[in-house]
Amino acid sequence: MEALSSLHKEAIREFLYKMADDQLILGHRNSEWTGLGPLLEEDIAFSSMAQDKLGHALALYTILHEHLGEKDPDTIAFTRNERELRCCHLVEYPIGGYDFSLTRHFLFDTAEHLRFEMLAGSAFEPLAQVARKIKGEIKYHVLHAQTWMKQLGSATEESKARMQSALNETMPLALGIFEASPFEAELAEHNIFAGEHELRNRWLEVIAPTVADAGLVLPDIDALTPAYGGRQGYHTEYLQPLLTEMTEVFRIDPTVEW
Amino acid sequence: MYGGGYIYDKSSPAEQHQDDPAKLAEFEAKIDRGEKIEPHDWMPRDYRKQLIRMIEQHAHSEIIGALPEGTWITRAPGFRRKLALMAKVQDEVGHGQLLYNAAETLGKPREEMINDLLSGKSKYSNVFNYPAKTWGDTAVIAWLIDAAAIVNQVTNSKGSYGPYCRALERICQEESFHLKYGHDTVVYLATGTPTQRAMVQEALTRWWPPIMHFFGPPDKVSVHTEKLMRWKVKLASNDDMRQQFLNMYVPKIWELGLTLPDPNLRKNDETGQWEYTEPDWDEFFRVINGEGPCNAERLAVRNAAEENGRWVRRALMKPVGQYTQPLC
Amino acid sequence: MPIISLDPRVTRLEIPEEQGLEPIQPNEYFETYEVFHQAKSGDKHIHVGSVHAPSAEMAFLFAKEQYGRRSKSYNIWIVRSSDITSIMSEDADIFATAPEKTYREAGGYKVREKINAFRKQHGSTQQSS
Repeated sequence: MEALSSLHKEAIREFLYKMADDQLILGHRNSEWTGLGPLLEEDIAFSSMAQDKLGHALALYTILHEHLGEKDPDTIAFTRNERELRCCHLVEYPIGGYDFSLTRHFLFDTAEHLRFEMLAGSAFEPLAQVARKIKGEIKYHVLHAQTWMKQLGSATEESKARMQSALNETMPLALGIFEASPFEAELAEHNIFAGEHELRNRWLEVIAPTVADAGLVLPDIDALTPAYGGRQGYHTEYLQPLLTEMTEVFRIDPTVEW
Repeated sequence: MYGGGYIYDKSSPAEQHQDDPAKLAEFEAKIDRGEKIEPHDWMPRDYRKQLIRMIEQHAHSEIIGALPEGTWITRAPGFRRKLALMAKVQDEVGHGQLLYNAAETLGKPREEMINDLLSGKSKYSNVFNYPAKTWGDTAVIAWLIDAAAIVNQVTNSKGSYGPYCRALERICQEESFHLKYGHDTVVYLATGTPTQRAMVQEALTRWWPPIMHFFGPPDKVSVHTEKLMRWKVKLASNDDMRQQFLNMYVPKIWELGLTLPDPNLRKNDETGQWEYTEPDWDEFFRVINGEGPCNAERLAVRNAAEENGRWVRRALMKPVGQYTQPLC
Repeated sequence: MPIISLDPRVTRLEIPEEQGLEPIQPNEYFETYEVFHQAKSGDKHIHVGSVHAPSAEMAFLFAKEQYGRRSKSYNIWIVRSSDITSIMSEDADIFATAPEKTYREAGGYKVREKINAFRKQHGSTQQSS
């Protein structure tokens, strides 16, 4: 691979960090359901997807380590504080009820699916390889999410109301996924990634019919204030406690093997 | 994980049912020939009852066992441990699923089994009424409780009931990953810094009495084992399994320079048997009857999980549904 | 006071110390579906177990993880348990086949001796080496 210019490098670094941090934090959150889900079978499926997410985070941190000179994945994931993370607010929220967790899963994983579909052709080959490798996993995640949305969105009055209110709550947060980076032009110019705006449009095209199929109403996007800030290191009150908890054992001695 | 050797049973001999002698003889001859019993075969009423009880308790142990280990799921240090612990606890839930299905083939719906768990009518392995206080505890549980469970499950997988054997076969394969993972985690701690070593030693000391309890009371006080042995519901005595476990794992513990809190623990070279101080069996029964350090929390959490999932399930329940059960 | 647990996840659930115990209703865990797993193309589907699920679609999603998460998989069939027809074991004797029905078996056809006798009597029409 040709030597990366420093601007180019900075753009890729920022891009990888935000994607990886999203996956790490959401994978962590979703793992909280293990053993506590609504049905044993669903518990197993949800845990697999949480493991996949952590696997994706690991793959992206590995690129950062191997191609961009960042520290090893454990150090990256387990020693940074909240200001250094670039995840969006959507993934930081506690798991809430299954309505919230499923809706977040649907909105996030749909975006993830489309993002990696775009990245499969990225000029940054290590990333393109990861995108191609995890395609099948994400396809399952989306199928899982859509099936649940459709079933619960059209079942009982209670389930419809719960799913609608979860959707209303998560939409502004989900829009925060697409917070623009200072390097949008740089990434597009080098054919690394076509951009958050493009991704957001594709995402809206996909979620709108699923939401309608599920018998739910998509909130008016233009009237919402997207939850931005995460990509610049400004987070919700939930992130630092999550990190403190996640790193409790690791911090006893970050220099040794556990 | 985790079929403990002890089958909790309150029934008295007076409740024992008389089966058709000809059918019973045929049934026993089949078992003697080493053939398996399938769900639609004739079986003595006590055989069905004891199997449901045993498999159900085993299933409960899996999903309750997911709680002490899940205690550290959000705090596992590093990707490798985090992913492995998630996969392991997931497997335990998966084992619960397989075992409930196996028990259901005998005619008791999963709903009833969970209700009996939550009401305290049906028990689970006693070890899960103890807390996992540190990361060291998860390591010890994953290694030694799973090791004890494997001894028990490998034995039970040679039993007479087809669906249970098939579930156990799959479970034992997955347990071998748990055992390796658990051993690996303990080794890293035991060969690590003084802090890491102290962490695992403390956990081991804490868990030794429940581990000694795991296979159930000594044979001389265990109830109606004989018939269960003849029917291949139970295949080895509690003491035999405990001996097997000690023989396989005490040397592996000692090779790490870890100590066990029993000054009398030694292998008698003449008899080939392990000698040990009898654990406190009164405590064992107290904990089974609800007075352990975590009984209340375990059931409360399980109940809350069912409660939180109720709206999801009720939304998708069919208005009129006939009960169906897994085939085999 | 909600339960304060060693498990931070549990503490966050804010479980009241005194909870009501509402029993799980009959059928609340749905129906069961049987799962047939095909490891790779060319293989047979093999029955591997069952799942509880509210629909066949969901059963598929569940079966994929419960029965396919470790093994190589090519396809999975889902069949509602109640749609499967079988017999009670007491009728298993309908499968008993009288041993003399050798006309249905390959081993029931043995002509080598006739051929050998024929060749001995008439000689072979082919050159043998």
